[in-house]
Amino acid sequence: MIALRGVAIAAGGRTLVEAIDARIGACEFTAVLGPNGVGKTTLLRAIRGLAPIAHGEIAIDGRPLAQLTGLERAQRIAFVTADETLTEALTVRDVVALGRFPHHRWWQWNETPHDGAAIERALADVGMNRYGDRLFGTLSSGERQRAWIAMGLAQATPVLMLDEPTSHLDVRVAHELLALLRRLAAGGRTIVCVLHDLNDAAAYADRLLLLGCERMLAYGRPEAVLTPQIIERAYGIAMQRIDTPHGPRMLPAALR
Amino acid sequence: MTLRLAALALLAAGACGASLLAGGSPLAPHDVFAALLHPHAPGDAATIVWQLRLPRVAIAGVVGASLGLGGALLQGLLRNPLVDPYLTGVSAGAGAAIALAIIAGVSPAVLPALGFAAGLSTAVLVAALARRGSGIDANRLILAGVSLSALFSAVITFAIARTASPDAAQQVLAWLAGSMAGRGWSDLLFALPYAGAGALLAAVAIPALNALRIGDVRARTIGLDVDRAQWTILAAASLLAAASVVLAGMVGFIGLIVPHLARRSVGSDARVLLPASALLGAALCAVADAVARSIVAPSELPIGVLLAFIGVPAFLYLYLQREQTA
Repeated sequence: MIALRGVAIAAGGRTLVEAIDARIGACEFTAVLGPNGVGKTTLLRAIRGLAPIAHGEIAIDGRPLAQLTGLERAQRIAFVTADETLTEALTVRDVVALGRFPHHRWWQWNETPHDGAAIERALADVGMNRYGDRLFGTLSSGERQRAWIAMGLAQATPVLMLDEPTSHLDVRVAHELLALLRRLAAGGRTIVCVLHDLNDAAAYADRLLLLGCERMLAYGRPEAVLTPQIIERAYGIAMQRIDTPHGPRMLPAALR
Repeated sequence: MTLRLAALALLAAGACGASLLAGGSPLAPHDVFAALLHPHAPGDAATIVWQLRLPRVAIAGVVGASLGLGGALLQGLLRNPLVDPYLTGVSAGAGAAIALAIIAGVSPAVLPALGFAAGLSTAVLVAALARRGSGIDANRLILAGVSLSALFSAVITFAIARTASPDAAQQVLAWLAGSMAGRGWSDLLFALPYAGAGALLAAVAIPALNALRIGDVRARTIGLDVDRAQWTILAAASLLAAASVVLAGMVGFIGLIVPHLARRSVGSDARVLLPASALLGAALCAVADAVARSIVAPSELPIGVLLAFIGVPAFLYLYLQREQTA
């Protein structure tokens, strides 16, 4: 589905991370992990075609990214960016309806019945059918995040990428959101999501892609990636692994 | 929404109609009607209506619509409610060129074309300064627009201060205060294609303006070519501002207040906001021009001055009231 071959990410003329190799399969939930400033967001932007890559190749369904137009990319990948303030007084439905943008030709100003159905379905998928008329500004952080996800779902793309969707969310809301992403993956969407919490990633993701300074450190199932050695290499902090029936969990060794 | 747009269209038509009845020479409404129906009837009425008032009202409508539309475009592009179409640098560039030309004694006949060319050149310069990468940087655009405007208004002041002819200085000041006095069909014909081109580009940019409401970054994620949208919107606003400047000089305030009023009445959806801004601008400008040419008849008040006297307090009142209720 998404193939990354020898990808290097640069910002400001400096290579942040290189040797990224991954084959992200359909309906998988992949968590992108790594320390701050390592290039996680830039990697997502590169996969979406919004940032250039310094080296390597990214292909979507066998087609190199460079061959796709901006609209074609937007028809394949929805990208929920990290919080950007919304200054306009828009309703939730207004926002979600914009997800239909890449399916319109430039002269199409009005919503088709097909758009309407996609918008309603997206709102239902995130459990916000009754929020359509609410002003976006009146929503809580978790509701806003779900509304942005609904906009991505209305885009009707096979892939949904999210940049730190659980930041600023309390534990329960964060888990509800991750469970929602899990359900979306089960429902046929490929999820690529930047997370900071290793245990959230272990609990919900099928595969982890761990970036370290300068290079990709690991890509694989949580049990294989979350080892004290690899984690210490990535974050420079000693951690202890505890295996639970639900998979591995990591605790800072200093807290033992 | 359609209902509100229809109401605004009626308002604009009513304002233009009322404006047709106002003027220095007393004409009863039924005389105006008769003259409208019989353009070639003998007598002064037909001449006054067809050669003076009608072009004047049409020009006021086009100027108001252009400024309202241009303001809505730029406010949408920059997501900044405090910008108006003159930020493109059009009026400042045109003003400086016209001031220098008047003082150099250039024939008044070429002034509109000269102002138009200088205005659009300045807009291109502002756009070049605002460019970053392949798109436009909002802060740079504001900075370039404001600073070039300041530079050119210094040029205008310098020109007025240095001229020995009080007549020329008077002419420049009249231009700066905004006026449609002495404009006729030929001026309208000159400006209309540019206003039309601007309006057409604005229509093309409607989906982009709607997408930009969620911010540049997110608009990119849903597949909008933000760079191209920015250039389209800026080009549209510059053409509209240039057309209005040729017709009426500097008519402040409409480009700032009208988009606000339109947004309050129909919301931020560009499909209705743009036509609403154009209609409201046309209505406001037509009424203001009617007042400007009848309140101190037979002379005229500069429409820019009039709009500031009435508009500023009204605008502040509306705005502060909204702050209280919000």
